Amino acid sequence: MKKILLAIAWAWVTIPLGWGVYQSVQKSMPLFSQPPTPAEASR
Amino acid sequence: MNFLSREATVAEPGFNRWLVPPAAIAVHICIGEVYGFSVFNVPLTQAGAGWTIPQVGWVYSIALVMLGMSAALFGKWVERSGPRKTMVVSCACFCGGLLISALGVKLKSLWMVYLGYGFLGGIGLGLGYISPVSTLIKWFPDRPGMATGMAIMGFGGGALIGAPLGVKLMDHFKTATSVGVAEAFLVMAILYAISMLFGAGLVRVPPDGWSPAAWEPGQHRKPMMTNAQVGVDRAWKTPQFWCLWIVLCMNVSAGIGILGQASKMCSDMFGVSAAVGGGFAGLLSIFNMGGRFFWSSISDLTGRKTVYSIYFLLGAILYCAVPWTQSTQNRTLFVIVTAIIITMYGGGFATIPAYLRDLFGTYQIGAIHGRLITAWSVAAIVGPSLVNYISTAKIDAGVPRAEAYNSTMYLMAGLLIVGLVANLLVRPVDPKYHFTESPKDQNR
Repeated sequence: MKKILLAIAWAWVTIPLGWGVYQSVQKSMPLFSQPPTPAEASR
Repeated sequence: MNFLSREATVAEPGFNRWLVPPAAIAVHICIGEVYGFSVFNVPLTQAGAGWTIPQVGWVYSIALVMLGMSAALFGKWVERSGPRKTMVVSCACFCGGLLISALGVKLKSLWMVYLGYGFLGGIGLGLGYISPVSTLIKWFPDRPGMATGMAIMGFGGGALIGAPLGVKLMDHFKTATSVGVAEAFLVMAILYAISMLFGAGLVRVPPDGWSPAAWEPGQHRKPMMTNAQVGVDRAWKTPQFWCLWIVLCMNVSAGIGILGQASKMCSDMFGVSAAVGGGFAGLLSIFNMGGRFFWSSISDLTGRKTVYSIYFLLGAILYCAVPWTQSTQNRTLFVIVTAIIITMYGGGFATIPAYLRDLFGTYQIGAIHGRLITAWSVAAIVGPSLVNYISTAKIDAGVPRAEAYNSTMYLMAGLLIVGLVANLLVRPVDPKYHFTESPKDQNR
């Protein structure tokens, strides 16, 4: 019972945190995939 | 009310101390939503009341000022009342503030939003922020940095959840006549209340004299760590307190200067779109969160003074490297450099409770931490103002937009050097400030 409570408690906080990290990573992807700026291309 | 009292939260024999960090994180991921409040700025200006961005911006500023003030003023009450009662009061203030703000948006009253999210919500932030600190330090005397780092990591992660949640809720409730802000506030108040009350129900304080199995006080003790106890009313009269105040203020001023302007800075320096700049800001939030756990855990091995010296020295070098990444237009290196800077910004927040514990003991650690947090409120105004003022002045003076941030970066490096000096001046607290009799006598 104590182990179940421990698992629930950690899931309670890690699931939303994981969702938040996923959302942010997804949003940041264009930063690495956007075509290079003219200055980058000329290097 | 007995359920809320400190006595009712004393752990029964066999209680697993690893239940306490998720209890603390459950509160911190909710109140950390304040970092993501900016997603409501533009929708609030479109709520049909004619509010402007500068007017709406005051909501966040009031909340942060109230965070510092409430943590400083109510710290002793938090110590007396215990973590559960504090978490419940924090929940009432923060979620109640969201509800009042929802009503304010409906009634088109900006003052109600200031009162709700700013004033009342800010008090909830301060109480919630310090509520689990002393409890965690008492449960994890062997790893105080890691323990408080986990909770404060939750605060950093709050924006990662709150910002996209707010956007999704507004999208869901948006109609032809409403931007959906009021409804989003209402739903968030309910969700956050459930999570914060879950944390309050789960939290326990250790029985008097409890210590982890196979651990003895004094084992693995670092040179700066004390066994003595100093009360809050004496602690803040020591030079050590004010050195740490400067340490926190400089670290936060420098970090918040980048974090608050990340999106615009990335767009200006590398010519990327606003959406890509927004993605960069989100990415920094992940490193802000991760740094809180990573660096505070490292501090348990290295000692706090060493880890803060790393923040300041490495931070200053990296700030000076930012203009170079811009001049070479190396976007990847820019992301790496700023990400490391932001991990140390988060680490600075997360390591400070353990630093205070090392110097002042555990007796009123939450209250002392509360008073130190006023440094954050000051830094929250100083940091962004410096970046805004200097970059705008440079652009007005004809400096290309992409290079307008260079001076700011050097200034931030200077702030970190000031922090380094303050950190190097920290010495163990003079025994004249220690308890000579019982802790209660000192605070009469």
